[in-house]
Amino acid sequence: MVDHPPLNKISRRTALALPLGLAALSGTIFSNGFAKADEPVRGGTMVMIVQPEPSTLAHYAVTAGNIPPIATQIYEGLVTYDWDQNPQPNLATSWETAPDGKSITFKLREGVVFHNGKRFTSADVQFSVMEILKKYHPFAPLLLAELTGVDTPDEMTAVLRLANPAPYLMKGLAGRDLPIMCKSVFEGTQILQNASANKPIGTGPFKFGQWDRGQFVRLDRNDKYWKPGLPYLDHIIARFIPDAATRSAALETGEAHFAGYSAVNYADLARMKTNPILDTTMKGYEMTPALSVLELNAKHPPLDKKEVRQAIAYAIDRKVILRDVMYGYGKPATGPLSSLFKTVGFYTDDVRKYDVPDRLDIANKLLDGAGLPRGANGMRFGMHLEVNSFGEQWLRQAEYLKQALAIVGIDLTLRSEDTATWLRRVYTDYDYDINEPFLSQGVDPVYGLNKQYLTSQIRKGVTFVNDSFYANPEFDGILNEAMREQDHDKRAVLYKKAQQILAEDCPLVWLIDVQYVSVFNRKLRDHTTGPLGTQQAFERAWLET
Amino acid sequence: MWQGFARFARNRMALFGAAVLLCLLLLVVLTPVIYPDDPFKLAGPALQPPGGSFLLGTDTLGRDVAAEIAYGARTSLIVGVGATLAAIVIGAVAGGVAGYYRGMTETVLMRITEFFQTIPAFIFALLIVAILSPSVSSEIIAIAAVSWPSIARLVRGEFVSLGGREFVQACAGLGASDARIIFNHMLPNCASSIIAVGSLLIGTAILLEAGLAFLGLGDPNVMSWGLIISAGRAVLRSAWWICTFPGVAILLTVLGINLIGDGLNEALNPRLRER
Amino acid sequence: MRLARYMGYRLVTALPVIFGIIVLNFLLIHLAPGDAASVLAGESGAATPEYMDALRHKFGLDQSLGMQFLTYVSNMAHFNLGYSYRNDADVSSLIFERLGPTSLLMLTAFGTAVALGIILGLVAATGRNSWRDNIISLISLVAYATPGFWLGLMMIVIFSIGLGWLPTSGFDTVGAGHEGWAEVWDVARHLVMPAVSLALFYLALYARLMRASVLEQTGMDYVTTARAKGQTERRIMTGHVLRNALLPIVTIAGVQAGNLIGGSIVVETVFGWPGIGTLAFNALQSRDLNLLLAIFFMSACLIVIINLAVDVIYVMLDPRMEI
Repeated sequence: MVDHPPLNKISRRTALALPLGLAALSGTIFSNGFAKADEPVRGGTMVMIVQPEPSTLAHYAVTAGNIPPIATQIYEGLVTYDWDQNPQPNLATSWETAPDGKSITFKLREGVVFHNGKRFTSADVQFSVMEILKKYHPFAPLLLAELTGVDTPDEMTAVLRLANPAPYLMKGLAGRDLPIMCKSVFEGTQILQNASANKPIGTGPFKFGQWDRGQFVRLDRNDKYWKPGLPYLDHIIARFIPDAATRSAALETGEAHFAGYSAVNYADLARMKTNPILDTTMKGYEMTPALSVLELNAKHPPLDKKEVRQAIAYAIDRKVILRDVMYGYGKPATGPLSSLFKTVGFYTDDVRKYDVPDRLDIANKLLDGAGLPRGANGMRFGMHLEVNSFGEQWLRQAEYLKQALAIVGIDLTLRSEDTATWLRRVYTDYDYDINEPFLSQGVDPVYGLNKQYLTSQIRKGVTFVNDSFYANPEFDGILNEAMREQDHDKRAVLYKKAQQILAEDCPLVWLIDVQYVSVFNRKLRDHTTGPLGTQQAFERAWLET
Repeated sequence: MWQGFARFARNRMALFGAAVLLCLLLLVVLTPVIYPDDPFKLAGPALQPPGGSFLLGTDTLGRDVAAEIAYGARTSLIVGVGATLAAIVIGAVAGGVAGYYRGMTETVLMRITEFFQTIPAFIFALLIVAILSPSVSSEIIAIAAVSWPSIARLVRGEFVSLGGREFVQACAGLGASDARIIFNHMLPNCASSIIAVGSLLIGTAILLEAGLAFLGLGDPNVMSWGLIISAGRAVLRSAWWICTFPGVAILLTVLGINLIGDGLNEALNPRLRER
Repeated sequence: MRLARYMGYRLVTALPVIFGIIVLNFLLIHLAPGDAASVLAGESGAATPEYMDALRHKFGLDQSLGMQFLTYVSNMAHFNLGYSYRNDADVSSLIFERLGPTSLLMLTAFGTAVALGIILGLVAATGRNSWRDNIISLISLVAYATPGFWLGLMMIVIFSIGLGWLPTSGFDTVGAGHEGWAEVWDVARHLVMPAVSLALFYLALYARLMRASVLEQTGMDYVTTARAKGQTERRIMTGHVLRNALLPIVTIAGVQAGNLIGGSIVVETVFGWPGIGTLAFNALQSRDLNLLLAIFFMSACLIVIINLAVDVIYVMLDPRMEI
């Protein structure tokens, strides 16, 4: 893994340049006489691989992970984030949270126009947030739960009014999570049936060009983009190639320049790194934490016993999964939060540890103690494991789990159904013992923890919420308090406590702290310029000629 | 028919096919002795190339590819033979009844047969596996469901041409029941064509099974060649052996079965006899 | 004239069959568990029950099966294939987009396979049990027994990465802005590998079939008679055998045309070819039932038409055939 892709050379230089008083020139720093090879060139077409093809580009109503790489080129958010995940001006130039935390006032940028020529004003923010996102965005019940209204005292000011403080909101204002749409496009229409769903209109550096289904989406340079001189590229083509081996081949032959979000199979990365025209980076996923886990159905004995759940957590060797299934990308998960939250101080590994040397002995003792002796064939009891349908690697993981649990006397039968059947069985019928999902954790612990563990999130028919029937009033109280606590350090204490409780109760088994990887052609420069990586605009990306 | 087998025995290609199949059967029988362990067992380090301590190397999880192929042979044969037998039973009954009774019965049965032929076969198989949840038995059902119409058409055609033959009319004249005529007299007369077509179907079924597993719809609890290939596909470029050996196994098996099928076809079909 | 009346009769009798197909397909497809709303919501991470309800209402999934069926049939009666909510697009336009690439791939692969297969089969049969027969038989058997995706992946490794002759995947070079002959050349380069990997399978099949068919015909009495009358072997072959030997090829080609839509899924997947096969596969995976039904319906119509065409060709090849 290369720690310093070309874009980082720029950011390191920028950092060096700052003390010399060049900060004011940062906008022009690229054209400021560095070695010629580092000088951005206008023009060119960048081809990126997006996998799988999105079913829709209605970014405001569907949050599938394959939409943002395209949609964030078109829709922008109020802010962007720097590498330390601090908000930076974008459509909003400044903002201020009221002392009681119940309102946030945004000053908006003048001179921004949508791709249809309409001026961007506070009315667009109000309409986007209240009429579209609050009503139709799948995460709104979490992200925008406290939002009661948006005031527009003047054309260039928008005030988000909140019922209670929502400190996590400041982490979710980028184009990926809170895109700003054009009011006049949506007003008076059925939002979910709007014609711009697949011909998106935003303020971003690229305009929607063409979508040939099964092949590509073409984005064209927005010549009237509000950042002067940007973007550098003339076009971005998002190509869809269903077969993993063919995706790798397209990068190796130079047909495609960029593949983010682990569109390239982990198994191929070693070969990619030896290819002279390619390089890889793990940067750009700092705000995309995710864990692979096992959900244990507490309604199905003996999984109702804490000891049994803990025994399962002890029985699994996460290092084997990491090495043989994830090809070394990621880390063994230590608890319910991704270690990426270390940057913002919410993560702790001061919890019950399951990755200990004598873990098999502990697991066997726990199971013996739970009154589950081994039968004649060495097995204590049998369970079904629902295999995640979103990719081959999950079947590999399931095959390993079957072997690992057999050692402590748990006989797993794998069930691998297609996505629709799997989701129905697990989240609607609750007809499962152990489930093998992959959980995105959002930009703040609120997203990942609340939806997965709160008693109120046991919601039949809703996917990826609390389906393991974890219900702990004490824990619920801590999480609700942490959600509204404005003081960062107090929040951190509360989340530490929450992680300790969860690790002890073990409603889920946390397996791997997932690490995404981008593969890119060395000719493509400045593609990963912030912690949102592929899920933010490629406005500064350029191609060496 | 015995003369037919004698003719078969003189066909060198067919004998080669029979030898391949025999080796395969031998492998299936001996597998529990050679590889007493579960083929899913993590036997050693991952991605060992062939020739070392593992004859055909290990896969991404460190499982012995040779053991996987040995166990996969059984699955492939069960699916291939099972699906073909099921298709032959359904097809022979539907085609036989249609060809024997003619008239309205024939029209209805043949329309149903046609309906099954209008659905794109592979997608239909995928749909059935999705409905039934992936397992060896649902793979057999799915493959049988897309294969029986061709048998039905074949049997119907043969029955129609047999219908006017003297021996059938003689049986009917002697008061034999319909079922007796169909099963004891007419079906044995189509046996040679059914055997020839059926043997080819086994090969097709094995390929279909690999295709289903390639798209992730195989039985995850039972080792099969398709499963090995779909698992090894991700590392095709860096660990060629995982995909190659089961691929060769499929190739040889289907080749062997088809050679036998060809041989049977020539041996049992009187018009193809060497003059 | 008789032929025209016959075709009219066949088309009219095909209508009830097609209606039956519509009904059966509808029921069959609704047997698959799960629905489009949960798949869409599943891809989105979490969603509220209200959001799921809104989706189901939008998709019409909150109606009874009977109502859904009536809507579907009335749409069909108005030649409206419906709306793919999952793709936010008309089913007809989704299918239409894929029709060009699919037909191009199919006609190229299938046409080449049938034509070459006939020639190879004939060559093999006329030199029965000679070295060329054995080689053709062996090669076609190996081609037939090779899993298509394996062959495709190998070709990419050799011709795209190793030699750099051909592009790895796709229909044309996106964004290259080729026009005229440059575009034709570009598409052709993309077409080569998928067409070859698809054609090899069918080629093997038709070569084998043709060989068997020719051999069967040469054993017929009329050939002996012709020989007795002193006709040359060449004349016998072109005048009698070939014509009769083609009949089973036409039949099987007709049957197989129905499998063309689904049969290329694997090849389309490997080469990223924007065909109807992958469209159907994705529709099945995401329970996009309107789209899947429309593809099944199209396939049924195609087969009915092809069967009719086959019968007509039969009549033309074999005048003794009744109509």
